[in-house]
Amino acid sequence: MTTQVAGKRHHREEYRRKIQEQAERGDGDASNVKMPQKRFFRQRAHANVFSDHNLDYPISPAHMDWASHYPAFVDPDPSKINLGGTRKLTKDVEVVDIGCGFGGLLVGLAPLLPDTLMVGMEIRVSVLEYVRSRISALRLKQQVLKKIAAEKSTNEATPSDTPAAQEDEDDEVGSTTTIVPGNYENITGIRANTMKFLPNFFGHHQLSKIFVCFPDPHFKARKHKARIISESLNAEYAYVLKPGGLMYTITDVEEYHHWVLRHFKYETVEGENVAEDEPTGGIRDLWELLSDEELEADPCVRVMKFETEESKKVTRNNGNKYVAVFRRKADPEWPA
Amino acid sequence: MASFQHPFQSLKLVKRHSQGLPNVLVASAGSYIYSYGAESGQRLAVWPQQVETSRGSTSAPTSTSDDQAPPEKRIRLSSPENDSEQKPAATTDGSTAWTNIPIVLVTSDGKHVVALTAEDKCIRVFSLTEDGHFKELSSRNMAKKPCALDLTPDGQTILCADKFGDVYSLPLIPGEYVKPKIQAKKPKPVATTLTVHSKRNLRSLEQQHMHAERAEKAARAQEEGEEKTALNFEHQLILGHVSMLTDVIAVSLPGAVGSRPRNYILTADRDEHIRVSRGIPQAHVIEQQCLGHTSLISKICIPSWAPSVLISGGGDGQLLVWNWSEGQLHQKMPLGDSIQDAIVSGIWDVSFDQPAGTAGSINLILVGLEGTPQLLCYTLESDNTLKSQGVVQLSGNVLDIACIDSQGSVVISLDTIRESGSTDMWKENAVSPQTLTECLQFSIADGGLKWTVGDDTRTASINAGGTSSLPVTLDAKQKKTINDTLYNLGNLRKRTFDD
Repeated sequence: MTTQVAGKRHHREEYRRKIQEQAERGDGDASNVKMPQKRFFRQRAHANVFSDHNLDYPISPAHMDWASHYPAFVDPDPSKINLGGTRKLTKDVEVVDIGCGFGGLLVGLAPLLPDTLMVGMEIRVSVLEYVRSRISALRLKQQVLKKIAAEKSTNEATPSDTPAAQEDEDDEVGSTTTIVPGNYENITGIRANTMKFLPNFFGHHQLSKIFVCFPDPHFKARKHKARIISESLNAEYAYVLKPGGLMYTITDVEEYHHWVLRHFKYETVEGENVAEDEPTGGIRDLWELLSDEELEADPCVRVMKFETEESKKVTRNNGNKYVAVFRRKADPEWPA
Repeated sequence: MASFQHPFQSLKLVKRHSQGLPNVLVASAGSYIYSYGAESGQRLAVWPQQVETSRGSTSAPTSTSDDQAPPEKRIRLSSPENDSEQKPAATTDGSTAWTNIPIVLVTSDGKHVVALTAEDKCIRVFSLTEDGHFKELSSRNMAKKPCALDLTPDGQTILCADKFGDVYSLPLIPGEYVKPKIQAKKPKPVATTLTVHSKRNLRSLEQQHMHAERAEKAARAQEEGEEKTALNFEHQLILGHVSMLTDVIAVSLPGAVGSRPRNYILTADRDEHIRVSRGIPQAHVIEQQCLGHTSLISKICIPSWAPSVLISGGGDGQLLVWNWSEGQLHQKMPLGDSIQDAIVSGIWDVSFDQPAGTAGSINLILVGLEGTPQLLCYTLESDNTLKSQGVVQLSGNVLDIACIDSQGSVVISLDTIRESGSTDMWKENAVSPQTLTECLQFSIADGGLKWTVGDDTRTASINAGGTSSLPVTLDAKQKKTINDTLYNLGNLRKRTFDD
């Protein structure tokens, strides 16, 4: 039994090393750029958010090295250096997927918002490693496709240059055969415990969208404090979101959906709706719940509902999906 | 052999001149709070009152001026069996539900004292009588261990920052508290899919089920939540970190012209964050994050004379000076090479008048390091930067400081039990009287800051009075427990481990 496990681990490590090497080499043609397979990166679905871990996080947002994550967006002026001593970008990161898992949402959103920098944050090491490998493979594939396309246009005579065969059964989202806007240069993944360190990465009013998709439901009451949505954390999300920015939530657990509404003060403990004009004060000051029509019109909601790994799983199991999106209001006036 | 006496864990001056009363020094040591005349050092009262059981003497310790040492007391190291139950302050044998009182606060009007008793996590509010006695008004047991307390600028609300990262607000004087009633469970729908057939009825049944389940779940969640946090007094969660809080400050800044002053709450945590939130009732609006420390933060201080300045310290060997309302780091002040590993245990603002003839005042920032007899002295210059003025060497580890008057007199409480510079090495013998407090006198001479350390009549009187004694024999484990009540910042450092 143990030898089997050891063998499995060895196999995994070997596989990951190869994927890593591919990313580092950064060459190859369309047919041999391999997309990583999830089964080599699985990790148990929970992480203790209260323990210290060996986390790497910047002292402050001004110390964060974003340049290595978004090479295509590095400011051409090499003299522009941040407090951490790394190159600055031409724009700030604006979209965050908290608990990005295997990165399906990012890959789905990337072509939709090609000029927006997006980051997925995930606390589990292996899962994050998968996201990073996946993104670098996608980027590589895009480069190869672009090269082929360029050759094609210069040499129209070349006949059927067959697109790379879709050999990867594991990967559902993310185009490996066509050139997409943004070429996946606008997405990345970071290992982080956002419950503790979100303000280390993002400044006041920096973000325009935050996604929380199918969060760990933590069913037991004594685990509720580990939930990623709470009144206290919502204050922190409001800090990093700019007024008008959106906080997306989706869950397949009905009780959690009500928990979300409750912790944005849109529902009482008894499950009653809190009327729009009812003066509740508290965290409700900062958030406005989007209507169904608005959700319908938002393409990000569609990606969130149908393109993430978890949402597909829920669809397969005929589960329900509960969506709540909140718009960050401007800060309330100081008490007069 | 003389036994060791509990050192003063917390020391506070109660200013009562506005009431036409003499100032009082309030101090906690072991499981007792003491009050002293601030001028004389004469002990005024002890709480809880020590009950003399066997000797039949009914006189309170305060009235026997010649023998002020309280009777020897057996301290209780095990935690009380039942925290939540309201207990009398002291049982007949003098043992209490707590062994130490880590935090003592006084209201700015000098009328109330707030104290935290450790093991029962109880916030106790006292009124201070004219003659310096404590009258307990309320005791409120918190669900989680409070780590820091402060009072809002109006003095009417206590802020309690706890180990789990939450800040609760409690009225200083609790009013009538009506427990929010739990909703009666809704009746479950009786019909089932077997009894109802039409499409529409089926749908409505489905909804009924959903509602019933939801109500039940909510009630259950509430009950479960309440089991742990059944606090029978008014309290409100106003903000939270996902990290242990180490300090909290409520402060007020002048607002724009013609508007009210703006209230803020600053919270510091073990994960290097200082958060600036608005005051109640808008504490959910975060205004700034002051990020710059590279290790835990243990103390933050806003000098009384410069409310826009924040000085923070912790385990990274430096003090940071902030323009906190803008979130701007103003200055990094290294503590010095020899004391890199020490953790800041206290930052105190001390202000005193310059000698007669010269205008203005001297503004000092004093910094204590856990388990050391040194007190680092800084002046806060007019451009809000710290300037080192040297190190004061005391005769024992510095625990707390109280500024006694406007002439530069400071009373310092010292560790009487452990060797100077150590958090766990006990002294060979207890000397009598023990140096519980020392007086530090600042002055300006030849244009520079000078100080003298020593006993004056005030500290001599306090030291002679003594505090409660520790048992003569203690095993290593008991000693460690006692050490940990005074020196616990080291435990907050991060441990590295594999994920």
